[in-house]
Amino acid sequence: MEYRNLNESRLNNWVSLIFKLGIAVSLALVVIGLIILLSLSGAKDIQPLVRLDQIPAAIVISVGILILLLTPIIQVIVAIVFFSIAKNRLFLGISVAVLCFAAISLVLALL
Amino acid sequence: MLLCRTTLMNELNLGLNLWALGGTGLVAGLLGSALGVGGGVLIVPILTLALHLPIHVAIGSSLVAIVANSCTAAGIYTKARLTNVKLGLFLETATIPGAIIGGLAAAVIAPSILSALFGLVLLYVAYTMVVRRYLMSEDVLSADNSVAPDNTPNNLSSSLANSYYDQNLDKVVTYKVTHTPAGLGASFFAGVLSSLLGIGGGIIKVPAMNLVMGLPMKAAIATSAFMIAITTTVGALIYHYYGNIYPFIVAPLIIGVVVGARLGVELAQRARGILLRRIFGVFLFLAALLMFLRTANIM
Repeated sequence: MEYRNLNESRLNNWVSLIFKLGIAVSLALVVIGLIILLSLSGAKDIQPLVRLDQIPAAIVISVGILILLLTPIIQVIVAIVFFSIAKNRLFLGISVAVLCFAAISLVLALL
Repeated sequence: MLLCRTTLMNELNLGLNLWALGGTGLVAGLLGSALGVGGGVLIVPILTLALHLPIHVAIGSSLVAIVANSCTAAGIYTKARLTNVKLGLFLETATIPGAIIGGLAAAVIAPSILSALFGLVLLYVAYTMVVRRYLMSEDVLSADNSVAPDNTPNNLSSSLANSYYDQNLDKVVTYKVTHTPAGLGASFFAGVLSSLLGIGGGIIKVPAMNLVMGLPMKAAIATSAFMIAITTTVGALIYHYYGNIYPFIVAPLIIGVVVGARLGVELAQRARGILLRRIFGVFLFLAALLMFLRTANIM
């Protein structure tokens, strides 16, 4: 029981760290992107359609959004690594199934 | 990759104020966090009714904002050992297929029908806010469901059993997980609803985990936040596939939601909870009414 709790504690620590790291990097990029948008185009009113002069800002924001969306998927990969090291076949299978389902939507998004 | 979709560009020839978008996120994060409901129930109505965005764009934007909000919450809950990561992953095997189906279905459903469905969900949430005593108390569940988990490797329920230290009760709360098939069913439904309407799905998951599967409320909320991060990511990716995610709309929303959620925790500790819930419930009821009027093309 203690060994199991210790292992799950490690998993929780990793999951928490990645969530915090992912959101911090993503937010930083989104804020930088908005600063670039405001300083280059000077617009407070924006159009959803990205204009040529707004491309640098849109790229930085998009990378931030991409990192945000990848953060929960990385959690699942961390869980796969954790359960494979712990030789927990049941939850290894469950985590792989979750990753496969998530990969379907990621492939769709990249198409 | 998030730059190139042009499906709805012609429809979106409108000026959007960055501060209005940020403010929308802030209000949604603040009230969502203070009252324990997802920000989606606020973001979608404000974006569609006040800022006149097409509902598919509003839902896609809401899903990305919810990813940001739930990642922030999940990071805190997981560090505090409240999240049952194994249970979250197990239930996600049903939630993600639901989210994929919901996202694909939303693409072919008329905006007016989506508005009506959203109105119905708003009515339900408003009802829980104003009338119903929300969920069972922590103490009752902790007492009824405490069990020493065994380590039999093939027993799913015992593998899902977990424990955490409750600061308020000043004791370790140990619980087992029951009725997993019902939990999977509820999770699938929550996934469909999440991607279909741009909400987190916590309104389904938290009661299901708390009342059906026997998790203490704190563990249910924490595990739900962990799951919502994954589910809404899947939904957001599908909405991106259909060209409904725009970086300049999403960016201020994300910042507003994260800042608002932090402030919401403070508000929850200081404000009168019941009064706040009732005011919010009335507001949601009015928003539902406006969504129905929009469906009937009266607005």
